[in-house]
Amino acid sequence: MRFDGWIFMILSWLVILSLFFYSLIHTLRSKDSNKADVRRSSG
Amino acid sequence: MEEQRERWGSKLGVILAVAGSAIGLGNFLRFPVQAAKNGGGAFMIPYFVALFLVGLPLMWIEWTIGRFGGGFGHSTAPGMFHTLWEKNKFIKYFGVIGIFGPIVIFIYYVYIESWLLGYSVFALLGKYNSCTTEQSMSAFLQAYQGLVKNEFFANLGPSYFFFLITFILNVLIVYMGIQKGIEKVCKWGLAVLFLFGIILVVRILILGAPDPAKPDFNTVNGLGFLWNPDWSALKSAKVWLAATGQIFFTLSCGIGVILTYASYLTKQDDVALSGLSAAATNEVAEVIFGGSIVIPAAFAFFGPVVTAKIAGGGAYNLGFVTMPLVMQKIAFGNIFGFMWFMLLFLAGITSSISLAQPAIAFMEDEFNFSKKKASWVFGLVTFVLCQPAIFLLSRGVVDELDFWGGTFCLVLFATVESILFAWVFGMENAWTEMHVGSDITIPRIYRFIIKYITPAFLLFVLGFWFWQDWTSIILMKNVPKENVLFVLGTRIGLVIFFGALAFLVWHIWQKREQKRKEGMQPDAF
Repeated sequence: MRFDGWIFMILSWLVILSLFFYSLIHTLRSKDSNKADVRRSSG
Repeated sequence: MEEQRERWGSKLGVILAVAGSAIGLGNFLRFPVQAAKNGGGAFMIPYFVALFLVGLPLMWIEWTIGRFGGGFGHSTAPGMFHTLWEKNKFIKYFGVIGIFGPIVIFIYYVYIESWLLGYSVFALLGKYNSCTTEQSMSAFLQAYQGLVKNEFFANLGPSYFFFLITFILNVLIVYMGIQKGIEKVCKWGLAVLFLFGIILVVRILILGAPDPAKPDFNTVNGLGFLWNPDWSALKSAKVWLAATGQIFFTLSCGIGVILTYASYLTKQDDVALSGLSAAATNEVAEVIFGGSIVIPAAFAFFGPVVTAKIAGGGAYNLGFVTMPLVMQKIAFGNIFGFMWFMLLFLAGITSSISLAQPAIAFMEDEFNFSKKKASWVFGLVTFVLCQPAIFLLSRGVVDELDFWGGTFCLVLFATVESILFAWVFGMENAWTEMHVGSDITIPRIYRFIIKYITPAFLLFVLGFWFWQDWTSIILMKNVPKENVLFVLGTRIGLVIFFGALAFLVWHIWQKREQKRKEGMQPDAF
């Protein structure tokens, strides 16, 4: 594997893992929408 | 009429359901082939450009339209599109694509998914252990698909048996409902999928050079085969289109299933962070797992020349021929083979149940069918429609269904919904709606991207495809002569099916209009 191949792989993994952990942390911190409600249906 | 609508049990549940819908066979088989064929590491430049300019905006558009439409009691695109553009009488018929497309994909996808269940059992039982060459493994697959008869399978019986199990499982899960069925299966399914993915990636990457006589045939060079950039590829429009296509298909955008899933959110539920989370989860499965299993494994055992040939042979070859051969060459290959096919089966089933949901939701919403009745009707209709895909596999029927349901409809639907959202509903309304209950603030640059770049990008892809392929597809120039009648029959069937769905939508709106005039039902819009 060439040096530029390593760079591309590591950068791609970094971008994706950053997105993943950013969203995971914010999701776990945020309020959970575990509430039942009634919505008007046009049925 | 006040009705208790189904709801997701938790925020994580809906994120995993959408991620499960997006994570499919393409993440593990299509992505590495596309990347290896289109510039290696350099492919990731157009890939990320497409992710940020088309993929993420479409995710947010679909989540927002879905939640908005759900607020008016609609779980599918015809009602949602009508709600967004009340004055237009025809827009609801474009929305029919959001029910038609998923059904068309479902009727062949569920059959392919059943192969994975079958192969995971075969891996455990060692049924293909006698196949030690590419030719014999291909013969095994072809006999299983009923394309030939040989010493492995004399008829379609085993294949049909696994199809029945898979089909019943799918219908049963959607019958169990959003929380007890889809959400539960996606939570457990994705957890097991990620566990198997991590185990397989580690196992493959520590293989090193399995044959000491060929030290260059190793997993690091296998990663290089996928990641070493070919800069010249960036000058090719084909590579940019391939990257856009990959992003498009991998995120399950333009199918209509995200609209339906998001319709079960409440008005105050977040869509911005959820859309991002689902996309990021899908990308982990695709780039990290998908990029680290098949190509490095094939390279370590077969070297660069054969791996290039395998990658050129397409995704199915890689999954059903190359990987079982690779797994047989490592210790505890039966177990790892089982994990590989079970991982793909879980990726498949979390996608196929999402394909079933729009049709079921349509019957529940618009015909007041119970979940049980809607599941039965869906099961019976799609069971009949699955048969041509099974028995006429060699006649190009599946390819035809895949093209119209899984490719053309996706791009067309996404183009229409992005224009509808940004230009008809209006960017001001759209931006406000996206941020209701939001846990994050979407960068303001996305106002410009969603309004101009995403629709323009999609129009360009659609226009380029028309310009390049339209004539040859319509005139069936690439269809072998012996398959022409079957392909034509499939097209006629699809037109009739689309017409039937459009008629149902017309009928519903007629009845609704009539009731409204009679003052029996207040206008919901």
